[in-house]
Amino acid sequence: MLRRKSSWPVEVLRYGTILLVILFFFFPIFWMVLTSFKPESAIMVSPPQFFFTPTLDNYAHALVDKNFLFYVKNTLIISVISTLIVVAFGSLAAYSFARFNVGDGHILFFILSTKMMPAIAVILPYFLIFRDLGKTAIGKSLHLGLDQHGALIVSYVMFNLPFAIWLLVSFFQDIPRELEHSARLDGLSRLQVLRKVTFPLAAPGIAVTAVFTLIFCWNEFLFAYILTRKAASTVTVGVESFFTLQGILWGPVAAAATIAVAPMLVFVLVMQRYMVRGLTFGAVRG
Amino acid sequence: MYALIDVHKRYGLRTVALRKLNLEIRHREFFVLYGPAGAGKSTILNLIAGLTKPTSGDISRDGVSIAHLPPERRGAAMAFENYALYSHLSVAENLAFPLRAAGLDRSEIESRVKRIASVLGIPHVLDRRPGFLSGGQRQRVALGRAIIRPADIYLLDEPIGHLDAKLRHRMRAELKALAVEMNATVVFTTTSSKEALALGDRVGILNSGRLEQVGTPAELYNSPANTFVASFVGDPPMSFLSVTARRSSDGVKLYNGDGQAIASAPFDVLGRTALKAGLRSNAIQLVDAQTSGALKGSVQVVEHLGHSNIAVIAAGGDSIQVSLPADRRLKPGEPVGMIIDPRQIHLFADERALVGEHV
Repeated sequence: MLRRKSSWPVEVLRYGTILLVILFFFFPIFWMVLTSFKPESAIMVSPPQFFFTPTLDNYAHALVDKNFLFYVKNTLIISVISTLIVVAFGSLAAYSFARFNVGDGHILFFILSTKMMPAIAVILPYFLIFRDLGKTAIGKSLHLGLDQHGALIVSYVMFNLPFAIWLLVSFFQDIPRELEHSARLDGLSRLQVLRKVTFPLAAPGIAVTAVFTLIFCWNEFLFAYILTRKAASTVTVGVESFFTLQGILWGPVAAAATIAVAPMLVFVLVMQRYMVRGLTFGAVRG
Repeated sequence: MYALIDVHKRYGLRTVALRKLNLEIRHREFFVLYGPAGAGKSTILNLIAGLTKPTSGDISRDGVSIAHLPPERRGAAMAFENYALYSHLSVAENLAFPLRAAGLDRSEIESRVKRIASVLGIPHVLDRRPGFLSGGQRQRVALGRAIIRPADIYLLDEPIGHLDAKLRHRMRAELKALAVEMNATVVFTTTSSKEALALGDRVGILNSGRLEQVGTPAELYNSPANTFVASFVGDPPMSFLSVTARRSSDGVKLYNGDGQAIASAPFDVLGRTALKAGLRSNAIQLVDAQTSGALKGSVQVVEHLGHSNIAVIAAGGDSIQVSLPADRRLKPGEPVGMIIDPRQIHLFADERALVGEHV
């Protein structure tokens, strides 16, 4: 987009404001990363210290003593698989809602309505279901028991699918039917049209949905806490284990949190490219 | 030859798009579908292309029903009113899309894309995405994507409808030349009377899902089947006067709402009710208000067209449009007389054309 060039005081004001906003939102992350490098003596002091001799002790504690990478690995497996399932099924479902108006809006609303129940209301049934499921043959083969990856993956898919469908429907509705019609006339089958025209055009929407879903899975605490003990525990549960009887280990907590956040930051930065609005700009007149 | 036979098309329960429509598109003709917005023009194209199915009736090609065939086997190429360009692909990739789908090899695709781009005057934008093109360029790409591959029939849905006047005029000429050169069967929709008459070998006039009349531009202009066609073909549109036919001392004459005689009846219409006389703007000669036998009226508005003027004249509760030479000056309110050539009167009863000996 072209913008008229403003005079320099306006520019200074603009960038000054942007800088303030960035500082405000990034300070907690900055402080977390800073704390993760502090020696214990520099953490809980007043006034807060910005300058100190950096140390890797906290990372050593988190990675070696607490084996924190184990939690990262669990989180990665559970989040990525959940997200893939949600995006795959969500986009197909959303496409059918958007194009064929399946259920005349009622099914779509029903799906969304499942999100209206607070998660904590169903935690007990979930616990009992997975406990019993883990004892069946199918549950065993799919790791659906308590403290197993499958149980959390299924739970996260349940929670994210309605929202993902809801989000994706509007993206698919924005793609003009004529684009698909045109491709059909050119000799493509329905499935080829989906692959070559519809899904590439819906890419920004799918990217947004994937990011939201992954962030939700990555941050989820309640279900991870209730449904796992050790083998399938995620980073959020892992961080909680730093709250010991001897007190809160702030340095290792900061180090662990930094490790937990890093993959998400990288992921969001990569996905940002696809999330740019306006990719469908110019498809049709107007 | 494509044909729609007794085609009825309903959307949902209430919206009727087409009513019992019969239409033939002949081999290698440039057929124009002309009518107001919402008349069902796009529906006809979609039916031929196979993008929608008729509620009842049949669609055939060379006498064989194709109603059950999917779009990819109808032999149709289509340009959509809203362009429908693939915004994630460049202009070159958009143009190449139908050829890739047909499985042509790369060098053949490349040479065809280049050729069509130069025909349409867009070789310099091949690398751009549709979002960075002007409206005229986008419309050319949409047109190019439709005509780049051989097809039995080309369906063009208002392909030049949204261009500015100058570009529209140029594209009109280019399109006609291209169609002749390609020896193609074309169905073209438009809401412009000028475009319809200028482009069509034959024109079909559509009004709320009904085909009012099909014919060559001359047939439609000279013998419109009803008042709708008459008012839609030609610019300025035909003027209509409510008249009654009565016997007078020198034969049957037509009288307007004021009881003024406007002209002799061109043929016997005594006893017909709900009569309307249709007049083209050039069928009327403007004379002095005192001329005996002239229809008297007063000037309402004068429109300047440059090469000529159009005067709107009120007489007996009707508005009549009359063509004037550009140098003829008239003031609003000025009384004038009109001499009407009886041979150029179109007579309608209950909105349908009456046919007499003079036609």
